[in-house]
Amino acid sequence: MRLLNSALVTLLTLTTFSLASSSSVLVVLDPSLDRENYSIFFGGLEKRGYNLTFRAPKDTTPAITDYGVPNYEHVILFAPDTKSYAKDITPQSLVSLLSENTNLLIALSPKQTPLTSLAAEFSLIPPPPETPLISHHPARSEPQTTIPVTVSSSSPILTPGIPPVWFTGAPHALGSTPMLVPILRAPAESFAADSTSDADSDALVTASEKGGEGLWAGSQMGLVTGFQTNVNSRVVFAGGVKMFSDEYATKELPSGGSPGNALFVTDVAAWVFQEKLKLRIDAVDHHRVGESEAPKMYTTNDEIVYTAHISAYDTETSTWKPYSGIDDLQLEFTMLDPHIRTSLPPVPGSPGAYQVQFCAPDRHGVFKFVLNWKRKGYSYLESSTTVPVVPPRHDQYPRFLSAAWPYYAGAISTSAGFFLFAALWLAGDVKGERKKGSKVE
Amino acid sequence: MVWQFSWLLLAATVQAASLSLQSPRFTISTPDATQLRSDTLSLTKKPEPLTLGPTDTLKLTFQITESDEGKGVQPHQTFLRFYDKASGEEGIQPVRVTPGGKAKFELNMARPPASIPPTTHNPLEVSLILGSFVHAPAQYDLFDLYLPASHTPAEHPDEASFHVLPAIKHTFRPEQKSPPQFVSAIFAATVLSPWLVLIGLVRFLHQIDPQLTDFVIKVE
Repeated sequence: MRLLNSALVTLLTLTTFSLASSSSVLVVLDPSLDRENYSIFFGGLEKRGYNLTFRAPKDTTPAITDYGVPNYEHVILFAPDTKSYAKDITPQSLVSLLSENTNLLIALSPKQTPLTSLAAEFSLIPPPPETPLISHHPARSEPQTTIPVTVSSSSPILTPGIPPVWFTGAPHALGSTPMLVPILRAPAESFAADSTSDADSDALVTASEKGGEGLWAGSQMGLVTGFQTNVNSRVVFAGGVKMFSDEYATKELPSGGSPGNALFVTDVAAWVFQEKLKLRIDAVDHHRVGESEAPKMYTTNDEIVYTAHISAYDTETSTWKPYSGIDDLQLEFTMLDPHIRTSLPPVPGSPGAYQVQFCAPDRHGVFKFVLNWKRKGYSYLESSTTVPVVPPRHDQYPRFLSAAWPYYAGAISTSAGFFLFAALWLAGDVKGERKKGSKVE
Repeated sequence: MVWQFSWLLLAATVQAASLSLQSPRFTISTPDATQLRSDTLSLTKKPEPLTLGPTDTLKLTFQITESDEGKGVQPHQTFLRFYDKASGEEGIQPVRVTPGGKAKFELNMARPPASIPPTTHNPLEVSLILGSFVHAPAQYDLFDLYLPASHTPAEHPDEASFHVLPAIKHTFRPEQKSPPQFVSAIFAATVLSPWLVLIGLVRFLHQIDPQLTDFVIKVE
């Protein structure tokens, strides 16, 4: 039955328009999770053109890497309760996948697994083991661990207007690193605890008074958090796997209406798999005003024009399109420390081009044009072009200064005087020449 | 500012009993036990914002009961939430409740608990969150609280590069100044002045004895 389903799905993908240009995804699915229960999520991915390959955590094939080369472009780890994996999946191998530009989507759980310690490496602080997130608000018929969470509209990753999503799992606290991208925060009334009855309220208060990390509560906790690495690969840690399931995508909210789970997980998957907010620098060039070629070196006080061309990836056409939407790009002209930092505004009329004109400092040395743009959720843009700046050559200084007129006058008049004297001396007769001179002949 | 009534109605249909807050009182006192301010909290209107100095103490007492006139209960969750709307910082402080539902919370600014969030000159909105496995939950907005400003939390060293950095303009060396051309002209004339002296002397010699100046005349 599953084979027939997957055959049908692959047939459908062959006929539908492929949006993601057939990226390969490996889904490590725990055998305790039923693949049919996640059909909305996986079906949505396949409809967007991803090739999904499924395996269990303990299977040795298909391996995620072969001799260090990743076999898949993206990996989904839906094995939140598994404590032991096959040899190819270790926290170290997952980190090396990220440095090879493979993106990861990882589901965590209240249980302590190797994935929990991997999350800690990304500045996510997990709560004590076996303390799931519970919330008594709003009043509902579902158990306290199944919580509807409002989605804030401030993240650039999510489309605005997503209804509340159902969540079951563990929260985490966010470290201070700016490379973390919070996607979903816990509701203010929720907290992490393993209690099941009112009698445990004293234990809650004592736990918080103990000091250390105290009580895990409030909206400062994260439930789904992303992390963008230095090589622009992305990883998302979700506090629970149930929010991806069909059951939660169709469960009615306590205030009525359908939940936003399907929309939310689609947006999250689109960001992790580099469909959204993916930018790159196509080219940078620099030259003097009035020229078009980059010179081998600049002179101090030159007027320099710097242009950067930036594109964004468009998933609908699977191509890179020029992107002029960055309004806070900055250029630094640096020699050990930035000497000049200006904004690099987009050129109106030229999509994707950002240009600025500035005057080179009057210090000579080896400078760099540094473009370093980092914002939460977007790819990092980094570019560095080294260029020498030399002082003016001996004949580039201003000549014939007015202050030198006395010297010109002196030099010329000395030469003229010498010439005049020599001419008069040679031309003049000596009076009273002796007759002797004529006798000699 | 207003109670959240809608879920209360829903809760009434779900469960018979709901949690409610009785006789909330607050007291602000100084270290030498003089009372600065003391009042009961009205559950329909927020009082004037409370202000605590660096050594003052705020004492809050209340009782949780099952519906308005019921017996006291000890709910699972009795949290005080301190929320700074402007910065988004939040702190959650659990309050110990006796089995009879009586609760007392003390905030001593000389030794504040770790759950108080970083504060600025903006007030903190203080609310009480009640939750239970057997009763319908409740939430009350209590008052606004001004606390002394705290140190800002330490920033990650990379945080600045994720925002717009201040612009840097290079101050160039001032342009080389040259003296006015008029002054240069005067000195050039001074340099050429010996020629005038020479011509004057030659004319003088010519006046004395024309023969002496033959060479000049011959050249001319």
